[in-house]
Amino acid sequence: MVKKQTKKETKKQTKKDKIDKSKNLISLLKKHGAQVYEDLENGEFPKFSIPNRSISNIIYDKKLRQYVLGTNTSLRSSRNSSQLRSFTQLLWLAFFANKLTHEKKSSTLRDVYYSSQAFAVDFEDQGESDNIIVDLEAVLSQPREDFYVFPEERSSIFGDLTIEYTIPGYEGKTQNLSSHPDGYAIGPSMTSAELVDTSAELVIAIEKGGLFTRFVEEQVDKKFKSIIINTGGQAPRSTRTLLKRLHDEMGLPVVILTDGDVYGEHIAMVIKSGSANAAHLKGLTVPDAKWMGVWATDIDKFKLPTIPMTESDIKRCYDLLKDPRYQEGLWKRELEVFIKIKRKAELEAFSKYGLNNITEKYLPKKLEESKSF
Amino acid sequence: MSSNEQFNQISPSEFFYRNRDLAGFSNPTRSLYTAVREFVENSLDACDHSGILPNIHMTIKAVDPEKPDPKQYILTVKDNGPGIPSKHVPLAFGTVLYGSKFGLKQARGMFGLGATMAILYGQITTNKSVKVKSNADGKTRFDFEMLLDIQKNKPVIVKKQETPSSEKGLSVSICLDGDYSKAGTKIRDYVYQTSLITPYATISFDDPKGEKFHHKAIIRSMPPAPTIIAPHPYGIDVETIRRMLVDTHYQIPNVDDKMIEKVRKELGMSKKKFTYDEIMKKTEKKWKSLSRPVRVVISLMSFLEADFEKLQRIRIEDVDLRNNKLVYWDYSTSQTLVAEMDVESHYYKQLANTVQGESLTHFLSKRFQRVGPTAALEFCKFAKFKPETRVGNMTDQELVKLSDALQTYEGFRSPDPTCLAPLGDGPLEKGIERRFEPDFMAVVQRTASAYSGFPFVIEMGIAYGGKIETRGTTVYRFANRIPLLYDEGSDVVLKVVKDTDWNRYKVKNDSAPMIIVSHICSTRVPYKTVGKENVADRPEIEKELRLALQFLSRKLSGYMSKKGQAEMAKKRANLYSKYLPLVAQFCTELSGNKKEPNYKEMIKEETALTNSEGSLEEVKKNG
Repeated sequence: MVKKQTKKETKKQTKKDKIDKSKNLISLLKKHGAQVYEDLENGEFPKFSIPNRSISNIIYDKKLRQYVLGTNTSLRSSRNSSQLRSFTQLLWLAFFANKLTHEKKSSTLRDVYYSSQAFAVDFEDQGESDNIIVDLEAVLSQPREDFYVFPEERSSIFGDLTIEYTIPGYEGKTQNLSSHPDGYAIGPSMTSAELVDTSAELVIAIEKGGLFTRFVEEQVDKKFKSIIINTGGQAPRSTRTLLKRLHDEMGLPVVILTDGDVYGEHIAMVIKSGSANAAHLKGLTVPDAKWMGVWATDIDKFKLPTIPMTESDIKRCYDLLKDPRYQEGLWKRELEVFIKIKRKAELEAFSKYGLNNITEKYLPKKLEESKSF
Repeated sequence: MSSNEQFNQISPSEFFYRNRDLAGFSNPTRSLYTAVREFVENSLDACDHSGILPNIHMTIKAVDPEKPDPKQYILTVKDNGPGIPSKHVPLAFGTVLYGSKFGLKQARGMFGLGATMAILYGQITTNKSVKVKSNADGKTRFDFEMLLDIQKNKPVIVKKQETPSSEKGLSVSICLDGDYSKAGTKIRDYVYQTSLITPYATISFDDPKGEKFHHKAIIRSMPPAPTIIAPHPYGIDVETIRRMLVDTHYQIPNVDDKMIEKVRKELGMSKKKFTYDEIMKKTEKKWKSLSRPVRVVISLMSFLEADFEKLQRIRIEDVDLRNNKLVYWDYSTSQTLVAEMDVESHYYKQLANTVQGESLTHFLSKRFQRVGPTAALEFCKFAKFKPETRVGNMTDQELVKLSDALQTYEGFRSPDPTCLAPLGDGPLEKGIERRFEPDFMAVVQRTASAYSGFPFVIEMGIAYGGKIETRGTTVYRFANRIPLLYDEGSDVVLKVVKDTDWNRYKVKNDSAPMIIVSHICSTRVPYKTVGKENVADRPEIEKELRLALQFLSRKLSGYMSKKGQAEMAKKRANLYSKYLPLVAQFCTELSGNKKEPNYKEMIKEETALTNSEGSLEEVKKNG
């Protein structure tokens, strides 16, 4: 009972937050626009101050348990002829984001690239427009999803979770996410929806679509009272936002299941503490999330069939060893074992012992184990 | 070949007949081109040396136009030069190595060898005679038809004819095997480039296909004609010194009627009293005023105690200074006789001086350019020769030592360039400007330098942009106002251009519309081959070329950076007029304003800035 009440209060709070956030964003954009307008009116060249996103300015914040940007900023001035073009692009994007936010219309990264052409602001390729989007994120300190720019969706969710849409045309409509066995795509409508209710006590994030389907078939959601999320490899920002909300708003613990290799380990790490690429953003991490497996030590323990690591796998291991987040505990230990055995195992490796071996044997064991770390 | 030059017969044509490849007559293509060059260059040289603005007309006609190449062509080159006196014509065109170019001065051709080679080649391939029309005095034109007797190296005159004519000049026409379809490009290039380096000449060319090329003179003044001068000490070899010494020796003069008359006049004597005793008496009084040959003759008389009658009957065989004896041959008695010489008398000194030749210092300062009495003394100190050494007494070893020392001594002033005829930076600049109409150009004439004693001057010009159509660096090479078209790969000029790091001068070497004109003037251009197409990389020449190119490149670099700035500014202005309106539009909508901010002034300012900063017109002239 007590728990539920807390949940409801949190929910109200978040709803208000969301509206404020949107309002804040719009006023922030307007403020930037007004500044540029004023500069021009005064015959001055307008400029943006953009937090520097170069490696030298990315530092690990132990308190926040994620990467953050340092205090270095760089100026992008329309006075400078070599910056004029990207200044205009950035201003255009602000203008475009303002439009999207007002109209609550979502747009993909690719959409942004093409939309620019209607305004004679040309991007050479999508790579260039993607960069400008990150610039705007840094200027506003807001993720692009907040101004309705989303990546292509590839991750999905399944489980007993009721949501209420907020996007135009679906406002107030609710949906329970256990009605369709293929799962639900995590797109703008999902991330912006209100999280109404759930019977689940756990979120399992899994790296691969194949295993996600198996878990649904094996009714892992029911057996373990869980919400299952397919991250589709490295979890997209929207998925990470959703994971964070499930944890923060619904009070659900998050566990992560990946392949038994260095990339799997890092997928878990990014969900837990973010990526250097998104160091300019906060609110994308679930610091309490737990990496459940497959660990390097599990390979031997569960007698999993393995394949040898490639040169680049090994190089990646050594690179991560330098990362401040891999300096202690489980993360360091497993990484070192990977380096030692130089072999890796995929989630599918459990099929050697039967298709449901992973859900029947491995999962319960690891879940039990995870309570203790 | 001007009329007052001296002609000397040197060597047989047989050798050149066998080695015609060396002179550029290896095949019909090359031969046609070489023949064109030889005649055009001879004409230009002749005009230059006589101070006449050249007007040269060349025609090449196929004997039978229907035939495929290679075939017989008639090549005719006509000029408005001084012509050749009729008595010299047969030898000048009918003998190999009959040259007027053995002095030390700059000329296009060397030795006058090429023209005769061309005639020789024509005769070998077509068995037709050469036709020469010469008018040297502006009154009569002499027309010759000649063949060469190769073994005897002598001309055979087939036909000779005189016509009154006031038009001075020379016209040479030969029939030869050629390949115009292959040589045509080179010949047209040659004519074009010649007009570039000879902007004071009018050159026209009617080619076998009926095309007419006419390059009119751009300027009406010509550079001063080169003069013959004494050699510079650097690079004189032993053999040259030996030859110079021979005519340094004062020879015992021939005692003929002329000589006797000279002696009598100098002594101021009547024919009656002109006896031995009277002569000796008069001489005592007048010795100091007598000329050298007269003194020598009288000295001889004094020792022989002979009058002129006797003196004419003998021949002096030796002046033996060691034994103080005078050895002579008496024709009347047919025997060798000896007379004693009195060492104390001034007659002895006179004879000794004559036989031993000049002192070394005197020889050096009189016979070489850039060597004065002081320099000669300094040199003797350096070379460890006694200044008063008589050159006539020097042994072979001493001559070798002298020649070595002359080349290693560094105290001589650099060679006298007055014997050179560079085009001058003015005419060169005009030539380049009119032919290429570039955006930027600069020319430089280096001061004279020397390699192995031969003076040379480097002139160079650089042109960029404008109506230059070629991309990448095009190098026009000239030597003594001759374009060099073949064998450019191994040429020293190309080497220097290639070695230059053009990025340093803000030039994109492979795409820049750039032209370099390089002109080497020298009394002897060090060609690698007899074909005279590429210049050998003598370190002294390479250095001068490098310095000239560096100077010009720096100027170009200055232009390029101004041009770069101008282009940048223009680009900038374009950027502002493109993007500022967009910025205004977006910020207006974003801030919710109704009216766009007033930004137009800002664009205007940026554009105005461009116009004042980077006007290309200004850059062009101030380079």
